[in-house]
Amino acid sequence: MRREIALHLEDVVFRYLEKGKRNILDHVSLDIEAGTITVLMGSSGCGKSTMAAVAAGLYPENGGYLECGEIELYGNSVKEMDQQQRAAYLTMMFQNPDLQFCMNTLRKEIRFCMENICVPVEQMDEKIRHAAKVLGVEPLLDQDLHTLSGGEKQKAALACLYVMESRCILLDECFANIDREAAEALIQMLLWMKQEGRTVIAIDHQADLWMDVADEIVILGKGGVPAARNIHRGNLSEHAAVFEAHGLFYPRECIRQARGCSGQEETAVSFRDLSIRRGTAFGKGRKKKVPEAPYLLEHADADFPKGCMTAVLGASGTGKTTTFLAVLKQHPCTGNIEINGVPLDKIRSRELYRQIGIVFQNPANQFITQNVREEVSESIRVWNRKITEEECSQRASELLESYQLGMYHRYSPYMLSQGQQRRLAVLSVLAGGQKILLLDEPTYGQDYRSAMAIMMQLRKKMEEENLTVIFITHDKMLAHTWADKIYLLKDKKLTECEVNR
Amino acid sequence: MKIEKWNPCVKAFTILVSVILLSFSYVVRLNVLVFGISLFLLLFFSDAKPKSILAILTPAMAAAFGLFMMGLYYARGNSITNVEMESLSAVPYAVRAAMSQNLETALQLSTRLLAYAGMGIFFALSTDGEFFIYSLMHQCRLSPKFAYGILAAFHLMPNMVREFKNVRIAFRVRGVHAGFLSLRPMFTMLVNSVRWSESVSMAMESKGFCPEAPRTCYSVPGIHWYDWLGCVLVLGGIVSGMIFLR
Repeated sequence: MRREIALHLEDVVFRYLEKGKRNILDHVSLDIEAGTITVLMGSSGCGKSTMAAVAAGLYPENGGYLECGEIELYGNSVKEMDQQQRAAYLTMMFQNPDLQFCMNTLRKEIRFCMENICVPVEQMDEKIRHAAKVLGVEPLLDQDLHTLSGGEKQKAALACLYVMESRCILLDECFANIDREAAEALIQMLLWMKQEGRTVIAIDHQADLWMDVADEIVILGKGGVPAARNIHRGNLSEHAAVFEAHGLFYPRECIRQARGCSGQEETAVSFRDLSIRRGTAFGKGRKKKVPEAPYLLEHADADFPKGCMTAVLGASGTGKTTTFLAVLKQHPCTGNIEINGVPLDKIRSRELYRQIGIVFQNPANQFITQNVREEVSESIRVWNRKITEEECSQRASELLESYQLGMYHRYSPYMLSQGQQRRLAVLSVLAGGQKILLLDEPTYGQDYRSAMAIMMQLRKKMEEENLTVIFITHDKMLAHTWADKIYLLKDKKLTECEVNR
Repeated sequence: MKIEKWNPCVKAFTILVSVILLSFSYVVRLNVLVFGISLFLLLFFSDAKPKSILAILTPAMAAAFGLFMMGLYYARGNSITNVEMESLSAVPYAVRAAMSQNLETALQLSTRLLAYAGMGIFFALSTDGEFFIYSLMHQCRLSPKFAYGILAAFHLMPNMVREFKNVRIAFRVRGVHAGFLSLRPMFTMLVNSVRWSESVSMAMESKGFCPEAPRTCYSVPGIHWYDWLGCVLVLGGIVSGMIFLR
């Protein structure tokens, strides 16, 4: 018997500009069976997210141009339905957990969703109660959404979709920046939904996460055209080459890139008896008090060796980023932090930033100009006041070339892809000759290939220039692949953990 | 009963009409009374924090004082001609000025400003933003598109504040000095906001939000008899004040 088709795309051609030459979706045809869990994978820029937005009817309504093609949800044409009708068939969950709520608490957000689809008022409270119980989100219901962690926000978002009872749920890289435990909990929730007969379509790049639950993995090639279908646990090994060809992470492959620290090297940064409290204080002085907030780090000791790559692992919300801010004198702390053997109190801020650079989770936040070349030369100028204009632009060009960004030198930094933005951020942060680099979630919002490219480049630079790299991540695999030394932040302590060889 | 319960649309209407009425009145005592009652209600019948009342009132007080001094010395272009008495020439200028009619004018102006300030904070500090938006949607037919758009933007504020702090830290660490009102971090925030508003609106649409389609409403702020009673009391009070306090 022929199974029902949840999502049907036929010969879809879509591009952002009507007169543009490049089709983001280039004659895509794809059918996804109802009642299954399907994972779509593909390298960045292959059009997966665009395909999701087109399937949900968000494009071309919010921009872009659909040249031709037929999109059907459970046999109904997307074009002929309005948002309300579509929501009965398909709802979507997005990558950035901060940007998908309209209200300030989960309870109100769920009400908003139910109002949208005209659920009678008298049923609302009962439905909220039921959903919260089934998904275990009762404690989240009345908390302010912006105080939740990334994983909790995604749980909240999924709870909304659960209540809306749409037949198909589409996830657009929802697990990109939440830790493994939270992702597994979310997948468990999705499994229950599948058992209730719903269809789950997920765009993701962590195949290993889905291996046990996915009915099918589809690899999308250029222009969003399916390159390989029907991949599942049983026949995964046959498709290793396809994963490789599309720059995707093939599960169980882990080539260690680090050489390990011999132990007698100097330390670049060291913590002694360091305590940090949680708090929103981004105040200027380190001495500024964050009263009575719970401790994130209590009497922690750590040494980060010079010329090595050290990873700080920990679940989200454990205070990894805050620790970085304390090193940069942007968060109050007690205890001692030493940079190259000098206590932090004795170093003036400007001198400190001449030694340490940081690349944040969202590199787009740290661009200071509107031009790629300016971005680098401005940085050179800030740290070398006496440099001549010619010398400066010469050096900027060289640096850009060495990071393969030379051809984009006229672009605005905001036009680059996520991976390129991060490379540019690293480059401009190090342009002043900084010898210690802090990296906050270097793989955020990127596919496997470009994440590896960045780490590879850093590794090279590290060996050439004796750079010290400290990165924080929730991705154990990344830490074990690249780090010479690994610290685990857990229960307010930093403990060194064994590096898998 | 708290003034937070007062229907925000009726409250806004009441205050708007009161402001217009007061602009025709020159009764100092009425102005002071309006100011005093606003403060009294805020302090004892609402959840407003005395600290925030003070924070808003301080600049208003300063402005009122400035206006008072200006009215006292420079009103009507003829300064203190009304008490041009030889015998008083020894008395200081300020006292002579105070004895003139200018005092009346100065008081009228400055107390009126205080009355406006009082009514302003009365509304601002006793009204819940969300409740006001819902009320506008149901009583004044504000389109849901605007209403929920404003709510979404409103609830994005904590995120924006956080991002703005991050941007400033990133700039400082890069050795770029960015002052409080510097344009550079603003530009970054602008780029962010454009991207965010797009994401949020797409997220809302994908959850079935459709401005044109019918929708159910969990809570509809109604207008009760006491909402109108409040309105009548306030407006009646002001009109009678204008008549009897002269």
